[in-house]
Amino acid sequence: MYGFEAMTFNIHGGYLEAIVRGHRAGLLTAADYNNLCQCETLDDMKMHLSATEYGPYLQNEPSPLHTTTIVEKCTLKLVDEYKHMLCQATEPLSTFLEYITYGHMIDNVVLIVTGTLHERDVQELLEKCHPLGMFDSIATLAVAQNMRELYRLVLVDTPLAPYFSECITSEDLDDMNIEIMRNTLYKAYLEDFYKFCQKLGGATAEIMSDLLAFEADRRAVNITINSIGTELTRDDRRKLYSNFGLLYPYGHEELAVCEDIDQVRGAMEKYPPYQSIFSKLSYGESQMLDKAFYEEEVKRLCLAFEQQFHYGVFFAYMRLREQEIRNLMWISECVAQNQKSRVHDSVVFIF
Amino acid sequence: MVVDHETPSLENGQTDKEVEENANVLQFMDSMDAYLTLIHSLSSTLRRGWLELASARHSMGASRVNTVLLDHTSHPAATSLLVTQDEGKVDSGKPHFTLCKWASSSNENSLLGEKHSSQDKLHPQLRHRGSTELYEEKTSSENKASREVDDPVQKERSKSLSMFGTLVSPKLRAAQLSFEAALETLVEIANMRSEMLCAFDQVNMKLEGRKDEK
Repeated sequence: MYGFEAMTFNIHGGYLEAIVRGHRAGLLTAADYNNLCQCETLDDMKMHLSATEYGPYLQNEPSPLHTTTIVEKCTLKLVDEYKHMLCQATEPLSTFLEYITYGHMIDNVVLIVTGTLHERDVQELLEKCHPLGMFDSIATLAVAQNMRELYRLVLVDTPLAPYFSECITSEDLDDMNIEIMRNTLYKAYLEDFYKFCQKLGGATAEIMSDLLAFEADRRAVNITINSIGTELTRDDRRKLYSNFGLLYPYGHEELAVCEDIDQVRGAMEKYPPYQSIFSKLSYGESQMLDKAFYEEEVKRLCLAFEQQFHYGVFFAYMRLREQEIRNLMWISECVAQNQKSRVHDSVVFIF
Repeated sequence: MVVDHETPSLENGQTDKEVEENANVLQFMDSMDAYLTLIHSLSSTLRRGWLELASARHSMGASRVNTVLLDHTSHPAATSLLVTQDEGKVDSGKPHFTLCKWASSSNENSLLGEKHSSQDKLHPQLRHRGSTELYEEKTSSENKASREVDDPVQKERSKSLSMFGTLVSPKLRAAQLSFEAALETLVEIANMRSEMLCAFDQVNMKLEGRKDEK
């Protein structure tokens, strides 16, 4: 019953909630970002990060540093924290934590399949996969010629198997099919995660519904904008939108027929939470839309920590860390390219 | 009115020589100025392109914009460079570079690319982008022709980006356009360098001739 989690949550989830709140306190602050934004070189960044929780992960990296090295090592820290929490978790928290990584699993599957299509070496592809999305038989993906084989040979034994029912065909894999497969899988995953959280009930269902609905809406907008001027038909576009969220179903009907960014703005401004996002952009401009959406997401994720005894804090922490890693990636690119004036274009402060 | 008989008149052959020499020097300096302007333009275009690529990577994620996705299957080049010698001119032997963009589509596209890459050498800021742009610098006839070729060119552009997926961020498309512009500028730089070296040779020849006369 909602409201009575306080009586039983701590039995199984109390330790890990304390752990994740402790990790949250280690997120970079505005002062850290200000120092990082003033760095002249990547070695300066390494020096500043050595005073943070990323220090042990970067200290042994030789100079000259590369931007991808910084991102890889910071990601390793997130992976270590996640694995620690996962091995300490009991059901249903362990299943909840596994759900958080399915998005990365989908990305890895698509990376391997696309890279194989482009005749790239499998070992090279595996090195670029996200560590949170790895599974045992991932290397076998390289032998599949179509989605049916992909499913039968590899994915039938993975958590992604249930998401394949909508996209199994015998058509050979090509760039368009792979893109549709990616988005169809992600749609099925989000809907499944949403249903799982609804089953959990209580504060978890309430908080995660809001966060996942925002994710579904943002995906719908990105799919719309990215498909403008492509061969993707309106019907195919509509099929890629999730069946939940604030925009479902009427917003989706409007987005499906949009042909430019101003029409997307017109469709989104009817929804008050998104009106504030689009009010930050000038007409015809979409460059700052990503940052506006990230800022809104961070606000919602931080709010998840204001309530106790729910699993939403784990999801929020993982997403906040990923945002932090994105910030570090952007700052390191601006430093490496000597474009420090542009560093605030995409950095989203968390605190 | 005092007439200065010691000042050579314009009808004097020696004066013609000086006029020609001055013209050669001016041509050399003009071409050097254009060359340096193009180098500067290339540098800023490439900076913009690299930042847009980083921005696309930030937006789409590192797994979607990655060197491991580059296509290693054998496929025809989307763009080629044609090198010709300028014949029938005083400075014959000077190489001329022509960029044939999206050469796997119709021939009109490559011809349009050629026409526009040789224009506006001295004004790179107003650089035409061949068949890729629909901006106000084109004439109305060129507008019509450019609209007709834009669809196949857009398709070729999307095809070359498809290694990163078919639904890519507008930032990645912007990065593609920037690097395309940089490629055009490189060809303009090559042509300008060729002109500059040719003008330098002219000036050098005149100087050598003067030394011999003395």
